[in-house]
Amino acid sequence: MSGEEEENAGELKIGDEFLKAKCLMNCEVALILEHKYEQLQQMSEDPMNQVSQVFEKSLQYVKRFRRYKNPDAVRQVREILSRYQLAEFELCVLGNLCPETVEEAIAMVPSIKTKGRAHDDEAIEKMLNDLSLIKKFE
Amino acid sequence: MFLKVQLPWNVIIPADSLDSEGLMLQRQIVIRLLNEFAVKKATKDHGYFLAVTTLESIGEGRVRQQTGDVLFPVVFSGITFKIFTGEILEGVVVKVLKHGVFLKCGPINNLYLSNLKMPDYNYFPGENPFFMNDKMSKIEKDVTIRFIVIGTKWMEAEREVQALVSLDGDYLGPVP
Repeated sequence: MSGEEEENAGELKIGDEFLKAKCLMNCEVALILEHKYEQLQQMSEDPMNQVSQVFEKSLQYVKRFRRYKNPDAVRQVREILSRYQLAEFELCVLGNLCPETVEEAIAMVPSIKTKGRAHDDEAIEKMLNDLSLIKKFE
Repeated sequence: MFLKVQLPWNVIIPADSLDSEGLMLQRQIVIRLLNEFAVKKATKDHGYFLAVTTLESIGEGRVRQQTGDVLFPVVFSGITFKIFTGEILEGVVVKVLKHGVFLKCGPINNLYLSNLKMPDYNYFPGENPFFMNDKMSKIEKDVTIRFIVIGTKWMEAEREVQALVSLDGDYLGPVP
């Protein structure tokens, strides 16, 4: 069940290919899949028949687990999180789980405290505050 | 985690469909790509295939000697879903058994949370069985759970991923 170097997302040990990959938050995936589904609705009477099970289950999932719904809010979340030195993977876990305290953020993404970037608690707190402001105005 | 990937793919157009040209040919290539993509479902390396977002390029076709089909190498962008050991995610309980529960998360239907990985939760049997701890936190069907992935396995025959998850850790467990 493991690779050469033990995989551990908590330490950002996910393989070079995925460290460099673009990750998407649930709210971003929801917008993309909803748009695709709308395109299908315009072309066919029975769009559900045209999409795979994987698409259907994933759309169901991201609609239930997105923290932000408005496209502008989604854009702002990505923009705000991008200001901090985060790996794509870390950015998306934070955007998905929306931790409320610094302690919770570190528990969800332990790697933000390592990897030589040493985000101090103040920076993390500011980041979480900025995120919760978007939520208030959504 | 949802990933945006850029992947190469070989689309094969059978000989009898080859009388179309230009845009019609391009359309054929796209339709076949989308079909094959949906049928493939998932790979070990990239996880589950959700959707194609852009067709980046179509290379020059190469005739396959034996069959007369033409192979077009294409590059496309798409979205996949892959889970990693150590990743923290949220999912929904689908089945409760006395030794553990099954969860669904994204396109994956059978993540397993063993009772050994639910610290301080006890099993309560019945028509609608559930697990509960002494703080009255309940784990039953349709409850949202935040968990950590402790192991993943690629099942080649079924083209599926199986995973083991755990609640061992701070801020894990049922989410209100």
